[in-house]
Amino acid sequence: MSKEPDLSTRKGRSVPELAALGVVLVVMIVFFSVTSEFFLQADNLLNVLTAISVTGVLAIPGTMLLVSGQVDLSVGSGAAFAGVTFAVVSASHGIAVGVLAAVLVGFAAGAVNGFLVTVVGINSLITTLGTLAVLRGGARLLTDGQTASVSGFSWLGTARPFLNIPLPVIIFVVLAIAAGLVMRYTVFGRSLYAIGANPVAARLVGIRIGLILFVTFVLSGLAMSLGGLILTSQLSAASTNAGLGLELTVITAIVLGGASLSGGRGSIMGTVVGLLIIGVMNNGLVLLNVNSFWQDVARGVLLILAVSFDQLRQRINAKQG
Amino acid sequence: MSHIDDEPVLSATGIRKSFGGVEVLHGVDLHLRPGEVLALLGENGAGKSTLVKILAGSYRPDGGEIRIDGELQGTLDPIIAKKAGIAMIFQEIADAPDLSVAENLALGDWPMRRGAIDWKAMRLSARETLDMLGGTDIDVEASMRTLSIGQRQLLEIGRNISVDARILVLDEPTAALSSAEVDRLFDTIARLKAAGVAMIYITHRLDEVTRIGDRVEVLRDGYLTLNEPVAAVDRRTMVSAMIGRETGDVLRPADQPDFGEVAIEATGLSSGSAFSDVSLNCREGEVLALYGKIGSGTAETAEALFGLRRLSAGHVTIDGEASKATNPVRAVRAGLGYLPADRKREGILGARSVAENLSAPSWPLMGRWGRVHASREWAAFSRWRTDLNIRSTNNPGQLIPALSGGNQQKVLLARWFERKSRVLLLVEPTRGVDVGARAEIYQILREKARTNNSAVIVATSDGEEVVQVADRVLVMDRGRITAELAGDDITPASLALAVGN
Repeated sequence: MSKEPDLSTRKGRSVPELAALGVVLVVMIVFFSVTSEFFLQADNLLNVLTAISVTGVLAIPGTMLLVSGQVDLSVGSGAAFAGVTFAVVSASHGIAVGVLAAVLVGFAAGAVNGFLVTVVGINSLITTLGTLAVLRGGARLLTDGQTASVSGFSWLGTARPFLNIPLPVIIFVVLAIAAGLVMRYTVFGRSLYAIGANPVAARLVGIRIGLILFVTFVLSGLAMSLGGLILTSQLSAASTNAGLGLELTVITAIVLGGASLSGGRGSIMGTVVGLLIIGVMNNGLVLLNVNSFWQDVARGVLLILAVSFDQLRQRINAKQG
Repeated sequence: MSHIDDEPVLSATGIRKSFGGVEVLHGVDLHLRPGEVLALLGENGAGKSTLVKILAGSYRPDGGEIRIDGELQGTLDPIIAKKAGIAMIFQEIADAPDLSVAENLALGDWPMRRGAIDWKAMRLSARETLDMLGGTDIDVEASMRTLSIGQRQLLEIGRNISVDARILVLDEPTAALSSAEVDRLFDTIARLKAAGVAMIYITHRLDEVTRIGDRVEVLRDGYLTLNEPVAAVDRRTMVSAMIGRETGDVLRPADQPDFGEVAIEATGLSSGSAFSDVSLNCREGEVLALYGKIGSGTAETAEALFGLRRLSAGHVTIDGEASKATNPVRAVRAGLGYLPADRKREGILGARSVAENLSAPSWPLMGRWGRVHASREWAAFSRWRTDLNIRSTNNPGQLIPALSGGNQQKVLLARWFERKSRVLLLVEPTRGVDVGARAEIYQILREKARTNNSAVIVATSDGEEVVQVADRVLVMDRGRITAELAGDDITPASLALAVGN
């Protein structure tokens, strides 16, 4: 009838998938609400959000990377490195210089990853597996493996400036909204999807692949700085073991949220739902007094399930195409 | 040739097949005699693949009967079909690139001796197979990686034929071959034919039908529309059986139109061993063809103009100014548009929507401060969908793989129309596009060159394409321009002559 395009389906198949994911989340929430009287309390729900905020800060550029067919495994150790750098520098030069140092370190880590992937041309999985080890080792070298305590820097991780909501949660939400808008409404965002869908074709339509991927790796590096600073602030100490295995949680959340490992698909909204599923699961298991080692098992199973769904979807799409 | 009078080795009558309630084969017959090459012709979606998959036992027919050597086959499955000697060669080559030629030929059926692989026997039998097929120049110990596509295809045939195949099905085997490789493949087909192997040759290239076919069957929308000895039909009859109307007309207007200014001019271009001393110009409104075999330098010249290939000598101007197109980003800005030959690997953004595929080069122009207005993207899609008759739903979010090859190609052309590119560089623009859509694309190119005032350069190895679409053609051979033809001088005969010299 009307010539206007049908808006309800313009995101293609991602809408029903996101809905299915929402159903999973709601089922989990209902289950834990019934089994634990503490789950639905406001304080506990804020705990869930706080627990996923650092993971979330890293998963935002992580989603951008996976959409463009890249992956950054170095985020967990990068966050630890940034945190330790802050602790060491701030001890002698004060908080402000410490923050600056942490930001520079994250920027540098991202720039090195970006350089190796876009200029040298190494596969991002291998590149960031390498920098994962380098950054973790570097963090331990800085403090000789010791945890460095920090004082006077708890506001970033624990302040509640608005409606009693912790600052890390506010930072995460603001960044997620900004990134969601960038992904959907800018040349940069669209180019990420195009590169992920077909890098050769993207190059031939005049997209600056190298520049865009480099910038995205740098964003991932800056997220390491932010994540590391929040973690350090929350604990009032920088541990060299901070963020251990965080990259797995990040990737689980992103893939769970519908991003394809083969690139070209995914969204910030999906990643947020993926993060919530992981956060609710971890929190619920703690409330039910399940041994914390089971959380690792559950997270691993979730990752495998998410990737299996991705495979299944690709096979179905291949049949339809 | 005497085999052809024998009883059919394979005989299918009244084959019917439906998918999801839609009948795609409406009672089709196919008879194949020993040593006969049956050309199976039809547009994409006409039912060719479904029919041969039924013959190979991959699909079960809903109706009709299949006889092999006169014997009725109740339930044909892939294993029975293989035992009966039916072998299929698909377009996509599935070999093990890191193994040797001999290992690939014996794949899965290695000769054993005292519990170990008998390498000597394996090499000997590989040599035998290759010599039989005319692949005497292929080293059986060479790694698969070092072989050309044509040689790999020969091996694919060798691998399937070695299990006593009597019926060989070839699905568009020449799609990716150079003309020397095509000659070799046809030589192999002749050898197999002499050995009594019957072949079903699926294609949509008419010149191949007349070159190697004994008989031609044409399918259209699941009906058999033509079944004649090749010698008894002309091309026009085959085409009209294929698409149900006459086509293939020369689209160039009878009187030479006045073209505009020179939009792109190249002088003395050379690039390594790919091509040398190529000079050309193309005016606004003009369609210029670069015609030559694959590897003759036509596609390479287009690549160089788009900044994908470094020039070792020469000079390019666009609208009289030195071209800044040293890479694709700068080329697009300089007003160039490029359509690659391999649509799936280099053209489409697979997981993305038709609207995004169409708008990608124009995103920087669809809003300020790096913003893209989705409404403009949709509007662009709606406009070109109507203008170019792109057959898809009116949903700009539809994923591009859902469209047929011809319609995908229209979207990729619209990319550059939307970008208002001054010069279009199109490499093999109708490869893998069926005849109906092909004629439409030629029409679009001619019309848009004129109305958009743009220069269109078509690099192609398809002579029929040149005759139908080009105002002027530069014939290339081994990296050099060898002839130039214009207007009514462009005929299949004159092109063949120009290439022959």
